Order: sequence, then C-alpha cells, then structure tokens
Amino acid sequence: MNPEEATVFTERCFNGEPASCSFACPFHLDLRSFLDKAAGGKWSAAYKALRSAVNFPVVVSKLCPRPCEGVCQRRATGDEPIAVGKIEEACLNYVKTRKAESYSIPPKNEKIAVVGAGMAGLSCALHMALKKFGVTVFDKAEGWGGQLREHPDFALFDEDIALQFSAVKAEFRFNTEIKSLDELSEYDAVYLATGRGGEGFGLTDSWDSTLMTSSDPKIFLGGELCGVSLMEGIAHGAEVAKVMEIYLQTGKASLSHGTYDKNYCGHNIDHSGKESVARVLPASGGAYSEEEAKAEASRCLKCDCDRCLTSCELLRMYRKKPVKLAVEVYADSKAKPPIAPCSLTRQTFSCNDCGYCKSVCPEGVDIGALLSLGRTVRVAANTHPKALHHFWLGEMDFATGEASYASPAACEYMFFPGCQLSASSPELVEKAYAYLSDKYSAGIYLGCCGAPAHWAGEAERMSKNVEEIRRVWENSGKPTFVFACASCEKLFAAYMPDIPRVSVYQLLAEDDSITPAAGFAEASVFDPCAARDFDEMQQSVRRLAEKSGTVLEELREKNRCCGYGGQMKTANPKLYNEIAENRAALGDKPYIVYCANCREVFLTKNKDCTHILDMVFGDGAAKSVPSLQEKRDNVIMLKKKLMKDIEGKDFVPKSNEWDSLTLIVPDEVTAAMNEKLITLSDIKEAIWKAERDNDKFIDENGVCLCSLVTPVIIYWAEYIPNADGTYSVTSAYSHRIHFKEEV
Amino acid sequence: MSEERIWKCAKCGVELRTRKTIFNYMERTVSHDVPVCPKCGKVFISRALAEGRMAEVEEQLEDK
Repeated sequence: MNPEEATVFTERCFNGEPASCSFACPFHLDLRSFLDKAAGGKWSAAYKALRSAVNFPVVVSKLCPRPCEGVCQRRATGDEPIAVGKIEEACLNYVKTRKAESYSIPPKNEKIAVVGAGMAGLSCALHMALKKFGVTVFDKAEGWGGQLREHPDFALFDEDIALQFSAVKAEFRFNTEIKSLDELSEYDAVYLATGRGGEGFGLTDSWDSTLMTSSDPKIFLGGELCGVSLMEGIAHGAEVAKVMEIYLQTGKASLSHGTYDKNYCGHNIDHSGKESVARVLPASGGAYSEEEAKAEASRCLKCDCDRCLTSCELLRMYRKKPVKLAVEVYADSKAKPPIAPCSLTRQTFSCNDCGYCKSVCPEGVDIGALLSLGRTVRVAANTHPKALHHFWLGEMDFATGEASYASPAACEYMFFPGCQLSASSPELVEKAYAYLSDKYSAGIYLGCCGAPAHWAGEAERMSKNVEEIRRVWENSGKPTFVFACASCEKLFAAYMPDIPRVSVYQLLAEDDSITPAAGFAEASVFDPCAARDFDEMQQSVRRLAEKSGTVLEELREKNRCCGYGGQMKTANPKLYNEIAENRAALGDKPYIVYCANCREVFLTKNKDCTHILDMVFGDGAAKSVPSLQEKRDNVIMLKKKLMKDIEGKDFVPKSNEWDSLTLIVPDEVTAAMNEKLITLSDIKEAIWKAERDNDKFIDENGVCLCSLVTPVIIYWAEYIPNADGTYSVTSAYSHRIHFKEEV
Repeated sequence: MSEERIWKCAKCGVELRTRKTIFNYMERTVSHDVPVCPKCGKVFISRALAEGRMAEVEEQLEDK
C-alpha cells in the first residue's frame, strides 16, 4: 500500500485550513485565533499574535485595507463582516505593555544588506535581525519609513518601528545611497526594497515573484519596487527572510514549509442555522470600548469545517482529524505488532460504515470508506483482532452454507430477503415470497449479501460470495433481484452493479389491492443508513405506511445508522449503546422500520417499532427479538419448508452429537448470551464434552463449570445436572485471551 | 472464583490452587494468578475475571 492510497480519501478535506479571512490577509494572520483571544479580552496574547504576523502592528492596523473583511463569512448570516480593523485598534489600546519580539538563539556569521528603509526593507531587516544575522540597512533618506515619512501619523509609525527594533541588533546607515551592488560585495545576501520607482540595479526584470529572487543568486527583491502594495511589501519582508535563510543554509533559495497560496479562498462553510448578530457600533463614534471590542470579536464564526467531526458519534469520540486518520490508516498497514504497534485499531473497527460522514461533508470526503480500507489492509496484513468479527463471519458461513437455498427454476424476479429478516421473521419471508410468486415469475434465494465480510474487511471472503451470487443469478436466467434489506441492495449496487435491482417495498407499494395493518396510530419511518441513496425504497415504505392509515411524522434526521452497521458492537459496546440510544431518541413516535437489524436494535432499547412487512403481511404489532439460536433454527426451518414446497425435497440439516442435550436456560441467561454473542449450540457443545470426559470443575453443591476452547473465543458454562438428564444453565460467559495449561 | 465456593477439578478430585498462569493474545504474553487444578493444570476462569480484568486487557492488547 502506498500512502496516497489512504490520503486520496481526505485530499479534499479542508478541516484545519486557515479561514477565508486568513487566506485573504497579506500576512496570513490567524484571525480565528486572534479574534478568539480578543473576544476573551486576552489583549496581551492577541497583541503577540498580531505582532508576530504583521511585524509593525501600529502601521498595519492604521493602513491595512482589510481584504479579510471583504471575504468574511459573517455575511452568510446577513450581517456585516467582523470589524477587524477596529478590533486591532482596540488591541493596541488595551494591551498593557507592548513588547518587541526577541529569540534566545546564538548569533550567526552571515551578513545581510537591506537597501531601502521603507516598510518592506524594515520588515526583512527585522526578521533577519530576529534570527541573529548581521543586518545593515541602507537608505538615502535621513531616517526610516520610506514614503510613510510623509504620512500625518508618521510619529506613531516611527514609535512602532523603534519599538520593534528595540530588542534586536541592526545597523542603520541613513543618508547613504547605494549606487552599485559592488559596494555590497562583503554581504552574503542582499535585499533590494528601494520602493516604487526605486533603483533595481537592472534586476527587476529577472524577479521571481514566488521566491523573490533575481538572476543574481544572492540578490533578493521585494516590496513596492516590484509593484506590490504597502501591506504586501511588509508581508514580503517576512517571506523573503525565510527564503533568504534557506539560501544561506543550503546555497539554494527555496520555499519553507507551510507556504500557501494567499489568493486561495475557495472554501466557505455552511453556516445555516447560525444566528444573525449585528456588528457592534462604538458608542463613542470612534474607537471601541474594551467591552465593545470583545463583543465584536465574539461575532467571529471561527470558520472551520468540522461537519463530520461533530455529526458522527465515532469521530466525536476519538477527535482525530480526517487527514490524520488517513495517515494512520496507511501507517497501520505497515505496522508490525507487537514490535511496531498499530495506532488506529479501535476506531477502524468501530465504524458503522453508514456513509453519514460523506453525506454531510461539503466535499464528499468519505471517512467510512477510508476506515473500510483500514480494515481491509489490517486483515490482509493479519494484524486485525479476529475476535471482533468472528461471530458474524461464522453467521455468514452459516447463511451461505448450511442455511443457503436458491430455488432452481429460472425466474424474472429473485427474492433475496437477506439473512437477518429470514432469521428473525421467517413467516414474513414466506408470505412475501408467496405474494411475489403469485404475482410474478419469482424465485427465492436465501443467502448472504456479504455484509459481514465487507464490514470485517475480509476481501477474499467477499469476492468468493460475490462469485457464488453471480453463479446463482446466471443459473436463474439473470433475474431482477428483489430486496427487503437496504444493506443487501447497497452491497449489490457496489459489488454487482450489473445485477438488476428492485425493493420488495416498491413492488408492494405499486399494488393498490394491498392495505397494510396499522400497528400504531402515529409513527415515524426510520430509514436505514443503507437506504440513503434509494429514494424509491424510502418513498415506497412511506406510501405503504400511509395506506395503513398511520399518521406519519418525519424524523429530524434521516438515514442515520441504528448502531448495528459495521457489526461494531463487539469492538465498541459503549459507542454502540450511545448510537442506538441517540437513534431511539430521534423521534417520540414509534418507528416503522424496513431493516430487520434496525428493528432488533430498537426493540432491545425498548423503543416501540414494527417492520413494514409486518404491517403488510401481519398485524403490524411489535414483536420480540429471537435469541441467536432461535434465529439459526428459524432459517433452517424456512429452508426446509421452501425446499419442500418448491421442489418436494426433504432438507436434512447437519446434526451434532450434542444437539439432543436438553438445556434449561433462564431468560436472563439467554439475554446475556445474546449480548455476548454466545449461542446455545456453543454451550451445548461445552457441556456435552465436559460430561463425556468428566472434564469440568464442580463445587460443593454440585454446580459444574466447563469451558470450550475454540481458536478465537473461549466459552464457559456454569450448570447444574438434573436427575432427568437435563441441565440447568446458570451462567454463560466468554473471553478472547487464551491461557496455557501446564501440569 | 466466587469467594465462598470451593471448586474441585472433577477429574482429579482435588481442590484448586492459585498459580501464576501464562496468557496469550494478539501475539503478546501476560501472566496472572488464577485458580488451577494442581494435578492436571486445568485453568479456572471466573465470570468476574473474564468480564472484568480480562476484558480490559483484551481491549488494551487489541489496541496495540
């Protein structure tokens, strides 16, 4: 894997980029930060930020034409831009002491000549002096300031310049006109900033506007000599100082890191929902009072895109920025734990893969797809925690193996109910298939779309399943697949886009003779995350619900994952619970769902809900959630029935020696087993083997404890053998760590 | 192991004793004192240990 394979996912992300105002600012002043400090009345910190960026804060606050205000996104709320100029003025008024900047670094041997003591030259001289180069400034005038010497406020500017140079060493040679560059041969680098129409020594035509170099490698040019504005000239001084330093260190001028295109300002943030706040007008009619300045600064919207980071519970939990996530996905692909550990495991395996991040991103950045890649590369490198998806991959093996069934005849429509609906509501699958086969040339295919493999990052398993689905599709005369599960349809669209698709809800909604039962008088349709791109499916479910007479109320958010997506509950039960509870609280009314997983999640969170198929083919009332074992048994019974009805054949399921064991399991133990993904069959196997080999622990009351060690999970069962040959299970639990038994 | 209960290894008929035991997960090894059968070495993991400290260590090791 190359770094680009991960970073390509976030290359359009602009989180953390300077705001539009900073892009527009000649000095790239971080206005978000400056205004935040000002809003808090932290004038000393605000002054330091201002001084570091603009070098001469008094000059700049008086004379800058404020391109920042021209691009201020406060306009999006119908307000005037932030009055940055007046806040800068307030900062200078209210800061207790204005200090010059200085660094504790050793002096350098190189000597720099600056020709021109106007603001551009002074800016370069100040920066080079701060870095402890030997700086000499030449000017033919009798003092510094260049054209500003004529300005009515020059006294203020003069004071500002003197202050900024007060903490550094720089030599000023006024009344000294440089007539030839030969006079400066002793200097290691020269900055020509002789002002508009000033002397360029024949080098202005060779000026490189990016590096500010000329055809003479040691001569740099900038400021109004090169036709830029006064403010850009001051900014040039700081930029050229960086390039010059690199030139002195390496012999070659180049840009330092962090330089960006100052004219770029393409990213405006969506400010919908933000309140309008009018600009603060100074009561005095002149400068702001301290409180007025703070209030005005607090109008800043701090424009930075964090839509995904604030919308998604997972991204909110870990607070890692998208660009960093991409870097870590790549780094984890190369990690070699335990020597070189991975850094992103929990987050990578906690994603619902619901696509909400992409849907809210103004640039369509798909963090879900990035984390999906993260899981795939971890599986490929065999550095993934296998226990996190072990159970669901086992269920997929079951659904595509023993429980799989495809009706043999060619058909026009192939009903693909999905493994979870077949497992939790086999009677609905049966009725829906009966309806379809009555109306259309329809077959049925009990199988798995591959979601567990896709979510686990098991690419090889996924492609094998796709091959099998294609084989069935081709053998059946390439029918249109009819889906009851949006996740199945989403994966078919992604992996098998050529297979024609329709939802069973669409076919049902088109039938005027159907009147579904109303389970609830009022309800909200909860659209599964996977149905986000299936508008027809969403509308069909609403049409069916409305036909039942149910009064529908739309939820405030659509297509959010119920928590089940990505089968991430094992990896992050805390996050799963947070998400499931948030979704259950999205609306006060009961939910009408069209995903078996959404139904299960909500019922376990005690949220009233019903499946739309239960309204069409049943009474529409909420049902209880079957146990893991009941689900498996349901699918086998369904397969048995379908095989008998369609082909007249008897299906004989696989049997194990422990199947005949009768276990008595209280409801609370079954619930705990469901929570921990322990099946009854696991416990039966453990008890059967323990009893066969007398391989167990026993306490003084005759209570037994046994274990079943499998390659990934170790299961434990505590039980009491009954006189009638049954076993009462009192507790079941599991863990992933393996132990070493030594005699 | 529940405090009041006295567990025996059914096969060996002897009471369990606490012994330092090696655990492996995610290619890392940790050791912990757990009850084992002193005769055959069979390891006893209580529910409290499995769902408490072991679950914490599992998560820590998975995250590395």
